Amino acid sequence: MNEENQKGKEHPLSIVINSAVMIFTDLGFEVVVGPELEDVWHNFDALNVPKDHPARDMQDTFYIKGEEGKVLRTHTSNVQIRYMEDFAKSGKKPPFAIISVGKCFRNEATDATHEMQFYQIEGLMIGENISMANLKGVLSHFYKEVLGEDTNLRFRPSFFPFVEPAIEFDLTYKGKWIEMGGAGMVHPKVLENCGIDSEKYQGFAFGPGLERLMVIKYVMPDIRDAYHGDLRFNQF
Amino acid sequence: MKVSYSWLQNYFEEKLPESEKISEGIIFHSFEIEETEKMGNDVVFDIKVLPDRAHDCLSHWGIAKEISAIFDLKIKDKKYKIFEPKPTELEIKIEDEKCLRYMGRMVKNVEVSESPAWLKEKLNAIGQKSINNIVDAANFMMFDLGQPIHCFDLDKLESAKIIVRNAIAGEEINLLGIEKIGNLQKSRSVLLSQNDLVIADEKGPLAIAGIKGGTKAEVDNNTKNIVIEVANFNSVTTRKTAKKLNILTDAVKRYENEISPELCTKVMDAITDLVFELGGGEVEDTIDKYPKKVEQKKVSVSINYINKRLGASFSKAEMESVWKKLNFTYIVKDGDFEIEIPYLRIDLTGPHDLVEEVIRILGYDRLEEKLPEIKLESKMNETYSKMFLARNKLLGEGYSEVMTYTFRDKGEVEVLASASDKKFLRTNLSDGLRESLKLNQLNAPLLGMKEIKIFEIGTIFKKGGEEMCVAYGDKKGIKEMKLNEYAESAKLFLNGLAGVGDPENRGPEKMTLPMKFKMWSLFPFIARDIAVWVPENILSEEVEKIIKENAGDMVVRGPELFDEFKKEGQISYAFRLVFQSFESTLTDQEINDVMTKVSDKLKERDWQVR
Repeated sequence: MNEENQKGKEHPLSIVINSAVMIFTDLGFEVVVGPELEDVWHNFDALNVPKDHPARDMQDTFYIKGEEGKVLRTHTSNVQIRYMEDFAKSGKKPPFAIISVGKCFRNEATDATHEMQFYQIEGLMIGENISMANLKGVLSHFYKEVLGEDTNLRFRPSFFPFVEPAIEFDLTYKGKWIEMGGAGMVHPKVLENCGIDSEKYQGFAFGPGLERLMVIKYVMPDIRDAYHGDLRFNQF
Repeated sequence: MKVSYSWLQNYFEEKLPESEKISEGIIFHSFEIEETEKMGNDVVFDIKVLPDRAHDCLSHWGIAKEISAIFDLKIKDKKYKIFEPKPTELEIKIEDEKCLRYMGRMVKNVEVSESPAWLKEKLNAIGQKSINNIVDAANFMMFDLGQPIHCFDLDKLESAKIIVRNAIAGEEINLLGIEKIGNLQKSRSVLLSQNDLVIADEKGPLAIAGIKGGTKAEVDNNTKNIVIEVANFNSVTTRKTAKKLNILTDAVKRYENEISPELCTKVMDAITDLVFELGGGEVEDTIDKYPKKVEQKKVSVSINYINKRLGASFSKAEMESVWKKLNFTYIVKDGDFEIEIPYLRIDLTGPHDLVEEVIRILGYDRLEEKLPEIKLESKMNETYSKMFLARNKLLGEGYSEVMTYTFRDKGEVEVLASASDKKFLRTNLSDGLRESLKLNQLNAPLLGMKEIKIFEIGTIFKKGGEEMCVAYGDKKGIKEMKLNEYAESAKLFLNGLAGVGDPENRGPEKMTLPMKFKMWSLFPFIARDIAVWVPENILSEEVEKIIKENAGDMVVRGPELFDEFKKEGQISYAFRLVFQSFESTLTDQEINDVMTKVSDKLKERDWQVR
C-alpha cells in the first residue's frame, strides 16, 4: 500500500527552521536557544529599550500576572543578551556568531498575516570588523539559498533601540518587493550592557519572522492555519 | 502623521519633485509612508515617523528638512515680524522642574473670527477641524513646527499670573472639547493627583500641562485678550499623566517623545506673527522662564569609524556632503569631524548615530553585499539537537508533526490584558494534541491516512518555570514527557540508523524543490469506497484509470487502492475516493450520480462491482 503513510510528515515551519539552521551553521554560526518566559532586563532593558518610553509600546507585550518584571518574550533578541553575558563572563574574546530560532509573542489581534505567537530567527555576529556590508552579504546569501538566486535584497531606514544604524529589509521574490524584517548594527550600549568592549568590537544582528518566509516559499494564504494542529497543513 | 505636499512646498523656493518622487525619497532615506492620498490639488502623505525621530519630525518643518537633505534642496529663510518692545503685566512662576521652559506672551485686543480660507484648507488637508482664527493658528503651528501651543483667554484668569505647579490631590478640571460619555455628549471632567503638572491661575488649574486645556480660560468668540503659551514639559511625566487619564492628544504625542526646549524661541516668534496677521492686537513682551538652558551637544567621528562600521569606503567629501545636506555645523579637527548637533536632533548622541546619518542620506543601495571573511566554528546547541533527534525519531515512527497554540483557557501562568480570551499558558502539550487528534481523525479519509499519529515538541509553562516537552499519540492514547527524557530513548533508537539523527546530514534540500501550498476547501468532504471483481490478469492500475477518468473533478483524493484479494481466478480491488468542492457543500445525490457513472463504466468491461 501507500509507502508515504509509513513516515510522518513534518510541519512546514520545521522544514523552514531546519533549513535556516543548516544554512547559517554552514557559515559558522552557533545554534543557541533561550527562554520564552523572560525577564524585562533581557527582553527590554539590556536591549536599550528605555522604560516609560513610547518605544516599548511598539511591541505589544504580554506581562505575566503576579510576576512583576516577567514577560513573554516579544522577540528572540533576549538570546543575544543571554549569550553575550555568558560569553563575556567566560573571558572569551570575539569573534562569534549565533543563530537562534524560537517562538515569540505579541499581544495583538490576529489576522491573516499576524498571530499572537510567531517564530523569529535571530542572528548575531560580533568581531573586530563585522560591518553592515557583511549583514547585507549574510542576509542575501541566506535568502538566495532558500528562495533562489533571483532574490534581491534592499535596506530601508528603520528604528529598533538595540541597533544603530537600524534597517528594515525587503526581498524581491517573483518580481515583487516584500517586507521581511528588521536588522542593523548592534548598538554600542547593548554590547556594553553585556560586558563587551564596544570600542573594539562591532557587529550586526537581525531578527526576521519565519512565518513570512514560509508563506512566501510555499505561497500560503493565511498563517493562522500553522497553529491549528491540522495535518492538512503538512503538505511537504 | 499626515503631511500635505502643498504645505511642504511653502518651505522651498524651487518646485518640489512630483509627489511620487517625494514619497520614494522619504521611504528610502527616512520613513515608511503608510498611505498617499490625493485631495483636490494637494497630495497628503501619511508618514510613519520613526520613534527616534519623533523629537524633530512630527511636523511639516521636520519633513521639509528631510526632503531638503534627500533632494539637496535649500529651505527658504523665513523671517518673522519683530514687534516693538512693550512692557507686560504678565507674570509666570514655575514651581516644579517637570516644566523645562515656559514662554508666555499677552496679545490684547485681538479679533477672534473665522479663519481665512488658506488656513482652513491646510488644517482640513491633515484632518483637523477649524474652530476660530486663534485656536487654528495654535493648531497650525504645532503641525508646522512640531511645538504644541496653547492660548488662554486672559480675562477669564484671576489675574495676569500663570503658575506651573503640581496639582493638589483631588483637584478637578473640566476639559476642553466634547466627548461621548455614555449616551451624552458633554465635556469631560477629570480628577487630578499631586504628580500631575498643571497650568494654573491663582485660584485653580487652567490646563493639564502639555496634555489638554480646560474650559475655564477657553478662547471663544467674545475673547479680547489672550495669553499665548509656548512651553516644554518633561516627556516621561507628561506621558504618565496622559496614560493615567487616558488622554491622547497631538500635544501629548509630541511631548511624550521629548522635544527640545530650544524650539520654543522660534515658535513664539512664529505664532505671534501669525496671531497678529489673523487677529491684529497689541503684542506685549514675552516672558521666558527657562531655568536650565540645554547645552550644545558636540559629537566627534572619524571617516574610518564610519567606513569600518559600514564596510564601505566613502570619501571625506561624501561625508561632508551629508553634514551639509543635514545642515550640521562642523569643523575638521585632527582628521575627525567635530559636529554640533542641532538642538532638535535629540536622537543623535554618539558617533554610531552619525554612521546611520551618512548611510541613509547617501543611500543604503550603496552598501555592497560582502560575506564576512572570518572563520568561525559552528556548534550545535544541546537542546536544539535533542529536538532534532526527537523529531526524527517520531517522524520515522510514522508520527506527523503539529504545532498548537501556547495560549489556553486554563493553566498556572496567566498573562495580563490579553487581546484574546485565552489568557493562560499551556501546562502540557497533551490537551492541544488531543484536539488536533480529533480534528485530524475526522479528516482521515481526506488525508489518506489509515491511522492518525501526531506529535508536538514545544514549551510548557508551570508555576516553577518553563520546560521543553514532547508529546505524541494516536487513537490509543497520548504520551507526554520532558524533552530530555525522550531524547535519551531517541538516541538509542537512532544509533541503529547511521547518520539520520545528525543535523549535519540533513541539508536544506527539501527547501529547494519548487513546492506550492494548496489551500484546502472549507466545505465538508464525502468519502466513498468502490470494490470490483476483475480477471486475475487485470492490473489494479487499469481499474484505477477507468475510475479516475469517470469520477469527475470533485475528487480531491484517490482513487486509492486500500484492499485486494484473489479468489477463484478473480481478483478484488477496493478503492477509496474522497470528494470535496471549493464552492459548495456536496450532496449525497451528486456523489451517488458520480459513483453510478463509475460503476456503469466498470460494468461495461463485464466486471462485477461489489
